[in-house]
Amino acid sequence: MLDLVIKNGRVVDGSGLPSYTGDVGIKDGRIVRVGRVTEAATTTVDAQGKVIAPGFIDPHTHFDAQLLWDGAAKPAIEHGVTTIVPGNCSLSLAPLKEEHRMKLVGMFNQIEEMPLKAFEQGVVWDWETFEEFVARISKDLTVNVAPLVGHSVLRLWVMGNESMHRCATPEETAKMQELLRECLAAGAIGLSTSFVDSDEKLQPVPSRYADEIELDALCEVLSEHGRLLQIVHEFYDADLTVARVDQLANLSLKHGITTTLSPLFVNADDNGAVDKVMNRVREQMAAGARVWPQVQTRPIDISFCFEVPSLLFIRLPSWYAIMRFGTHEEIVASFADLERRPALIAEAEKNNMNALWARLTLRQVQTDANQSLVGKTLQEIADMRGQGLIEAMIELSLEEDLQAHFLSGDMGHNDNAKVGELLADPFVHIGASDGGAHILSFSTYGDTGYLFANFVREQSALGLEAAVKKITLDTANIWGLNDRGQLREGFAADVTVFDPATIDRGPEYYVQDVPGDGSRYVRDAMGINTVVIGGEIAYTETGGYTDSRRGQVLPGPLQRP
Amino acid sequence: MGTSHSQGLAPARKYVRPLPEDTWDSIAARELTQLPAADASGVLQSWNFHVFMRPAPPEDSPRAGNPILPSDIIFLEPPAAAT
Ligand SMILES: [Zn+2]
Repeated sequence: MLDLVIKNGRVVDGSGLPSYTGDVGIKDGRIVRVGRVTEAATTTVDAQGKVIAPGFIDPHTHFDAQLLWDGAAKPAIEHGVTTIVPGNCSLSLAPLKEEHRMKLVGMFNQIEEMPLKAFEQGVVWDWETFEEFVARISKDLTVNVAPLVGHSVLRLWVMGNESMHRCATPEETAKMQELLRECLAAGAIGLSTSFVDSDEKLQPVPSRYADEIELDALCEVLSEHGRLLQIVHEFYDADLTVARVDQLANLSLKHGITTTLSPLFVNADDNGAVDKVMNRVREQMAAGARVWPQVQTRPIDISFCFEVPSLLFIRLPSWYAIMRFGTHEEIVASFADLERRPALIAEAEKNNMNALWARLTLRQVQTDANQSLVGKTLQEIADMRGQGLIEAMIELSLEEDLQAHFLSGDMGHNDNAKVGELLADPFVHIGASDGGAHILSFSTYGDTGYLFANFVREQSALGLEAAVKKITLDTANIWGLNDRGQLREGFAADVTVFDPATIDRGPEYYVQDVPGDGSRYVRDAMGINTVVIGGEIAYTETGGYTDSRRGQVLPGPLQRP
Repeated sequence: MGTSHSQGLAPARKYVRPLPEDTWDSIAARELTQLPAADASGVLQSWNFHVFMRPAPPEDSPRAGNPILPSDIIFLEPPAAAT
């Protein structure tokens, strides 16, 4: 007797080979048969007209904190994602000493735009080591979690405040090596580092004070277990990115490890930039290195209101300081101050930013009086009111007690032909969703649905089988998840059943579901029928989330000899 | 430094990784020996706006006055002319 059988679907098994009509049989958390299943099962799912695929794997997320109050990482699963990788970009929640907690929270708040209140009210801090953190999240896990350990956090543990000022001594480097070894033994899938991020004081994060010797020493530890290195690089510049590709290639070849860099964007003004980077990646791969650039499917758009700091304003120091360091009352007072306003307006108009402001769309307000303006551009609103662009933005925000939400759409990475070409490239790793982060700037959820809706159905940039392979078996292979990413006997039973004609991401909307009365932007999934994790149904389109808790930490603790 | 297996690869923009205590002057003196010493730091800065333009370290920091980080890429030549 099987636990579960999914019948009569179009099996897209993750290998990239042509699909076929068949069934998938599951028992004890494993796939036991793919093809024709005649054995009876406790539960049967009819997949007629649907695709049966391996569960999607999301390799770049910041769900670290959310996992402490939501072991399903909602809404990742309803989009077909069965495994997430948190701990990217040099930041993880472990290992972390008690005295460094607020420092780390400050960095998460600044870099990943996650609200401080969520940490204060959603997190019971009952761990320090990575092993304790793994035990803590394992208690209540629906989604599979393959956690990276952050380089900045390793430095903070070993060097304390000195980690934000200087290179490590040989003794400190040796301690970091030992600490990383412990994290890998406890179940970390690899190490993440950052060459670009800044903390809440706009100073470089600790990982940026590491010299080559330190990173090399840590990669030596990764090589002991064949684990991976993730970096966030200077993605805004092609020459710098090429230099990082070379750096990663050297580390990969020397230590025999896989490396990945994220994000790689298409810049509408300069397609040559991404070609330059990809040519280097091809050269380095041909030379035997493993250097995987991550490309996201979603075009860049950013929403904001003045209640919380937005990275959109980081190049406007006066504005950013108000949003970053002011209380609600102080922000209101700053914007209401008519003496300060000309200087604010001048700063916002500088550098031809008016083109950006004019295109902003008002997406949400709270007063009845302004509801009729929702959906209009800031230019239209300013014209209607006889105000300047910036003045209209400030006045609207004051009228809405800072709850006027603006959308800056199509900010880049929106050249369908070029992005489609990249996504189909065998040397590109589809990822960089940033799930769980930037929750008040955009919804990262639904990148997988968008891959099928836009790049498979609309643009025909990839076939269905190729797109599935990109976000299942390719990802599993790059990350060394050896029994995931394929519908194959003996593999873990993570399965996503979806309708290839309707799978998509729904519209972005605003919900208040973050601890501490926090809000975020999310998107519902479309066309996802059933999601199975660890052999049990975790989500269905009709019934929503089940109470299944079969998520695992991957690759899991090392077997002790 | 930084390009240990670059043999056989297409030429890329030349760079170094800084030593722990490096400053604009020390890198310029070591790497840009062909330029007059008085100009070298300024030229180096002009090729490395990604470092030169970043917010200054706080006054009370051991790094006060020096934005260069040991993890940085410091270019030793201007960008290639667009083709
Ligand atoms: Zn990230």
